[in-house]
Order: sequence, then C-alpha cells, then structure tokens
Amino acid sequence: MDDEIRTFADGRPAAPPYPAEARAKARDRLLREAREGRGFRFPKLGWQAAAAFGVTVALVGGVAVALSAQQPKLGVATSAAQSAATQSAAVLDGDLRPKPGQFIMVASDTMYSSFSQANGKMTRYLYRTHREIWQSADASADGLLLIAGLAPKPWPGEPLPKEAQKWKGESWMQLASCPARLAAFRTDHAYLSTLPPDPALMRSFLYKRQPGGKGEADRAAFVAAGDLVRETYMPKAQRDALFEAAKEIPGVQVADGVEDSAGRQGVALGRESQGILEQLIFDRDTHMLLGERHTVVDAKAAGAPVDSVLALTAQLKVSVVDRLPEHAPKVERDDSCTPQPGATTDSTEQPTALPTDEATDLLSDGPSDVPSDGPSDVPSDGSIYKPTDGPTDEPPAPVPTKTG
Amino acid sequence: MREDRHVVGVQEKPETLDDSALIAQSVIDPERFAVLFDRHADEIHRYAARRLGAEPAEDVTGEVFLVAFRVRARYDRTWPDARPWLYGIATKVVAQHRRAERRRIHAMSKVGAERPGSFDDRSADRVTAEQLQPRLARALTRLSAAERDLLLLVAWADLTYEDAALALGVPVGTVRSRLHRLRVKVRRALGGIDPFAEEPQHG
Repeated sequence: MDDEIRTFADGRPAAPPYPAEARAKARDRLLREAREGRGFRFPKLGWQAAAAFGVTVALVGGVAVALSAQQPKLGVATSAAQSAATQSAAVLDGDLRPKPGQFIMVASDTMYSSFSQANGKMTRYLYRTHREIWQSADASADGLLLIAGLAPKPWPGEPLPKEAQKWKGESWMQLASCPARLAAFRTDHAYLSTLPPDPALMRSFLYKRQPGGKGEADRAAFVAAGDLVRETYMPKAQRDALFEAAKEIPGVQVADGVEDSAGRQGVALGRESQGILEQLIFDRDTHMLLGERHTVVDAKAAGAPVDSVLALTAQLKVSVVDRLPEHAPKVERDDSCTPQPGATTDSTEQPTALPTDEATDLLSDGPSDVPSDGPSDVPSDGSIYKPTDGPTDEPPAPVPTKTG
Repeated sequence: MREDRHVVGVQEKPETLDDSALIAQSVIDPERFAVLFDRHADEIHRYAARRLGAEPAEDVTGEVFLVAFRVRARYDRTWPDARPWLYGIATKVVAQHRRAERRRIHAMSKVGAERPGSFDDRSADRVTAEQLQPRLARALTRLSAAERDLLLLVAWADLTYEDAALALGVPVGTVRSRLHRLRVKVRRALGGIDPFAEEPQHG
C-alpha cells in the first residue's frame, strides 16, 4: 500500500458498533422481502385472515371481482374458500380487466423452507403462511401485504427448531410501488399486459429478464417464469405464451395431475435444481398458476430424503378490488423506493434528491458484467397503461396507513 | 451428469458454502440470503459508519442488503467472495448521501478551529474516536466523489485493487491510474500543512 493510502488506512475513524436492534431490524426487513417479496416470491392464500376484515364477498368461483367503488373492504371468501379451492380448476378462468387505479388482490397459502444462521449454527424448517397481497394494477399506488403465520413443519427427518415456534401473528406491510426502479422486474398487471403474447418472444424475454451466469441461463429463465406468475395477474394471452415458453426451457419436465396444497390438480412445469424438482402447477386450460411444489429428487444435494416436499403452495384467489382494505391496524412502511438520507448530525441537512438514473443504476451495479437494463423491447414504466374499459372516474386509491 | 452441480450442491449447509454458491441458492430459496447478511452486515456497517456516521450507517446497511437481494440473480458467480459486490452496492448507496458526507467531512476538517455543535447526547470520547483527523478530512475534500470512493474502499475497507475494480465496475488498470492521480492530490493536500504537527484533539 502506498504511503498516502496507508495514511488514510491508519487514520480510519473508529466505527461504532452496529446496534443489535438496528441489525435485527435490517435482517428482519431482508427476510420479509425474501419471504414475501414483491414479485420475487410467493403467493399465499388467506381465508382465515379474512375473518379479521368484515367480509363482503363477490366470489366468482376462484376469481372474485369486486367492482363496486363504494365497497370499502375487499371481497374475500371465508367459509366458501375451501370449496372454492377445490373447484378452482374450473373456476380460475376469469378474465379480469382491472382498470388503472384498481388493485389486484391475490390470496394464497404457502410453505417454503426457512434457513437461518446464528452463532455459526444453522437451523432449518418449513415455514407456512397465509398471504394476501394487493398490488396496484398499473403500479400507480403503493400496495399492501398481509402475512399471517401458520404452524410450521419440521425439515424432513429433523426436529422442529425452537425459533420456528414464533410463527403466530400477522403483519401488514406497505409495498412501495417503484415501477421506474423495478423496470423489467415489474409484475403489475399493466406491465405484464405489455409482454409479448407470443411464445418465442416471451421466451426471449424470460432469458433476458434475469440473465444467469454461465450454465445458469435456463434456470434463470425458469425462475423468471415463476416470478412473473406468482401473486400476479397476467392476461390470458400472456399466460398462454408464458406457459408455452417455459415448457420449452431446456430441462423443464411436464407432469400432469400434480397437486397444489389445496388439493387441486394441474399440469406442472418442473425443473431440477440443487437436487430439488421445482414445479409450477398451472390450470390445464386457463394457465392460471395454481401453486408450487418442490420435491426432493437427490437426497444428498437437497439435504432431505428423496420424495420429501420442501415447498407447497396454493394460489387460491385472484381478484380485482377498488381499494386497499381499511383494516390495517399497523402497517410496516416500505421506504425502498425512495431511500432517505439518514439523519445526520447537521439538522439543516436537506434530503438529497436521488437522480433517476442513479436509482436505476443501483439495480445494475456490481461485479456482474451483464447489461443492467431490462429487455429493451419491453416498456419500463407504467405510462403505457391504457384502460380498456373507457374512462374511469373512481377516486384515487387510498394510500396505506403509514406508521412510524 | 451432476458432477458440476455437486461442487456447490453437495454442501447443503449454508455455512459451508462460499458466498457465490449461497447467492446462487438464494435465487431459488430467497431466505438463504439472510446468511449473507449474517456474514457481512457488520463489515458493511463499519464501512458505512466510517463514511457517514453512526445513524446513517444503519439505514445504509439495511438498504445495501435489500438492493443486493433484489439484484442477486445477476451476481457474477465466478466470484466466490461477495464482499466486493456488497461494497460496490454500498458505494452506490453511500453516494445517495453525498451531500451529508460532504458536510460531515467539512465539519471534521474544522475540528480544532471550531467545535461542531452536535456532541450533545453522546460520549465525547466515542465521538472523537469516530472523527476523521482534520488533516485527512481536508485532504478528502480535495478529491472527487469517485476518487473518494476508491480511496476509502482501499484504505478503509481493505479491498485489493482487483476487488476495488470489481466493486466499482471498472478495469483494474483504471483503478491503478485513478489511485495514482489521487495519491498526487492527497500528497499535495497533506503537504499543505506541517505533517508533523499534532492536530489538537478536542472532545
């Protein structure tokens, strides 16, 4: 090291310890994003949680459409949910036509694996949740996510770790809408509607959306397919194209009669990764996502016995609602779109506006030499959204309650 | 057929995986990314705190890992150690606080001449230790933002030139030439005062 640099190295200021509380909060926020993430992770269904709201049901089979602008609460099936779930293959054929300003609500049940590491010790188990997610159909407003814990299951062949016992309760989270920043990672309806309704073009979109490294391209494309249909509503033409495109990804196996966690059968597109067959289960006719199933095929690679199931979900209801539910007592804020400069010791400090290009850049930098931009043939903002149902004059959707 | 996969796949326990394999798995199992946080959060926090101070560092650290999580699919898996990548993201996030950083550096550069007025609620000793020596702070003010990023990645985060190049997304040759230029600037800045004079330590 050169002298001048050495001088700086030697003179480095002491760093304060990372306060345990702040650290835990940051880790928790990350885990939440991992578990519930916008577009990156999973669906769930929650009719038990629905009892917490008053219920105004407008259920058309598995697809509920609540179009009344007066309806202050979302329509959620309660007791009907189980039967809706079992007959959904027939009923998930609704063709929703959300208008700008409306929300897509998706309810699902999930089970996924949880890993954590504390003091050098790894624990793992299968955590389960009910999820209800509301996302602006045109990314024009922030969304909302409800997660209610369900009793976890042990990792196959292992006891349930102590930390898995803390599953009870529910939480509400604001989901900041940042279409510009998400670019090709957007999963709102308006954006999905712009994807090519053609299998070959859809295929190239899948490969470009989330470029994988060497030998990873096929896997990345398959992951992208899952991310686009999970907890989202994609129009039929795009669904069909996506199904056909995903089917042709090398390594993808087609299986019929695969059951989701609600017992519905569909046609599964599966791909093996790390000793696990990861299946996306679709309704055979409508190509709506029913759920996901991850089954161990290589015990050594997966760390669990062959045929054990490490993930199982069901996406039980997809609906259009006019506004976010009002019964959100405490909502976790999501500042991820607009990082605020932290408090400084100088109280006159003004928040620094973040240049748009820098924000976009954030998503792209790092050692990867993969081009950062989304596919160039895909619009990257919400402005292309064109209402198909004539002008709308609904009042703007309410912003979720902010706390803190 | 699964030979290559076994290189990463046979080790099912995250703590035995290198960062690259962990990130690869986290594409499928997002929660595994938390292990990456467990491994590197303290280090990233230290770096952020040195550059921006204690409070902003908390926000910055959380943001760094969120951003990293969101772009993890694009991680270049030929790099087993994720630290340069995380520092690269940290640099971007710190850049959002550029104005705050400039004020902080400016304030530190004047310790001794005038006492910054915000020592109220903390231990004065600790605050003093967390300050950069005024002469170094002054030298920093002579550097461009890009030069400062590079210098501090090397000097405070202990990145090698190769790692710094990776973090900043530039060729290592660029790192070398930038370092050369900034060394000249720093030398000039440090030489502007008596290098043997002790800075008065207030606190």
